[in-house]
Amino acid sequence: MIFSDETVMAYADGELDASMRAALELAMAGDPLLAQRVARQRALRARLRAAFDPVLDEPPAPRLLQNLREAAPQPRSATVVPLARRVVGRRSWPQWAAIAASLIGGALLGPLLIRTPGAPEVLVRNGQLQAGGALARALTDQLASSQAGAPVQIGVSFRAHNGDFCRSFVLHQPGALAGVACRGERSWRLEVLAPSPAGPGALSGYQPAASELPASVVRTLEELRAGEPLDAPSEAAARARGWHR
Amino acid sequence: MHASSEELRAALVGLLPRLRRFARALARDHHDADDLVQLAVERALLRSAQLRTDAPLANWMFGILRHAWLDELRARGRRAQLFVPAEAAAQVGDTSQGEHADTLAVQDALARLPEEQRAAVALVLIEGLSYKEAAYVMEVPIGTLTSRLARGREALQEMLGESPGALR
Repeated sequence: MIFSDETVMAYADGELDASMRAALELAMAGDPLLAQRVARQRALRARLRAAFDPVLDEPPAPRLLQNLREAAPQPRSATVVPLARRVVGRRSWPQWAAIAASLIGGALLGPLLIRTPGAPEVLVRNGQLQAGGALARALTDQLASSQAGAPVQIGVSFRAHNGDFCRSFVLHQPGALAGVACRGERSWRLEVLAPSPAGPGALSGYQPAASELPASVVRTLEELRAGEPLDAPSEAAARARGWHR
Repeated sequence: MHASSEELRAALVGLLPRLRRFARALARDHHDADDLVQLAVERALLRSAQLRTDAPLANWMFGILRHAWLDELRARGRRAQLFVPAEAAAQVGDTSQGEHADTLAVQDALARLPEEQRAAVALVLIEGLSYKEAAYVMEVPIGTLTSRLARGREALQEMLGESPGALR
């Protein structure tokens, strides 16, 4: 069977139906030239990604954020302090999440960041918004299947498109916050953080359903997620590997 | 149901890095790309009532951003922009950030594609959209999308050759 260039491309792009895919894979096993044509398409995609993915990590242009911030309505509560104003120095990518939180009302972030004594649950390090204290511990140690009574409730664990392990969570104390954190080399990066509709002091011991998460968190989760959430065994295996890819 | 403008703004902030990557693939020049993102965000906020919930927000935004880019090309005069001469392309990019040589070669090659092929390549190969989604963004039938994508790929392979490091 001869496969056209468009078929080979569609295969490399994951666009062939199951029967064509099987036929091509069978042919590829005995046809190094065909395998090479597929590899060539994949290599081109990898080169394009390598050339453009670094754009994602560039600090945001202040004017773009200005644009979105100016358009924001007046905060409903006078206690809302946009987190972006607290953060000095160069902004790197995870701070977009902080700015997103400020846009939807980051009333609870301020106290979290400056809270003493004890380790703060949310901290800014090297210009990144990261999980700290009890939140970081829960993200690292807690399984979604066994967490009754814990101050942090883990929702789902999943793989992001870039391969990182990410977990959604609700932090009940000291303020009700929900978010998604992804595991970097040494820390949990907060991708999104927003006040939880459950409100402060909500009963712990339940697993936050998607409907209880703020819309911005659900949306980020869906954007990040590649495939289904991890089941209990995969989650335990990921924990055993320290949540590294 | 459509998202409140507050939710939309928050979601847009989260999308800015991807919008910028797509804009950079289309426009090459960093400032032009940021202008495009800004324009797309402004238009999206004005048109939030038209936001369709049956497609991911990112795809809706890619469509708006590409329209902004096509408007820009028309305003500048199509002919001058569709093909960036090789010597000009090398200077258009901001190389101050120590970009890898292959990155520059890939960006230059992409910038030399006709816009239709460049957009198809950017949506499918860089942004990871399915053919169906990319066709939706470009408002063309899937067959048109795949043939633009195929031609774009062939042209890129021809310009870039096989990178020894890329085939593993």
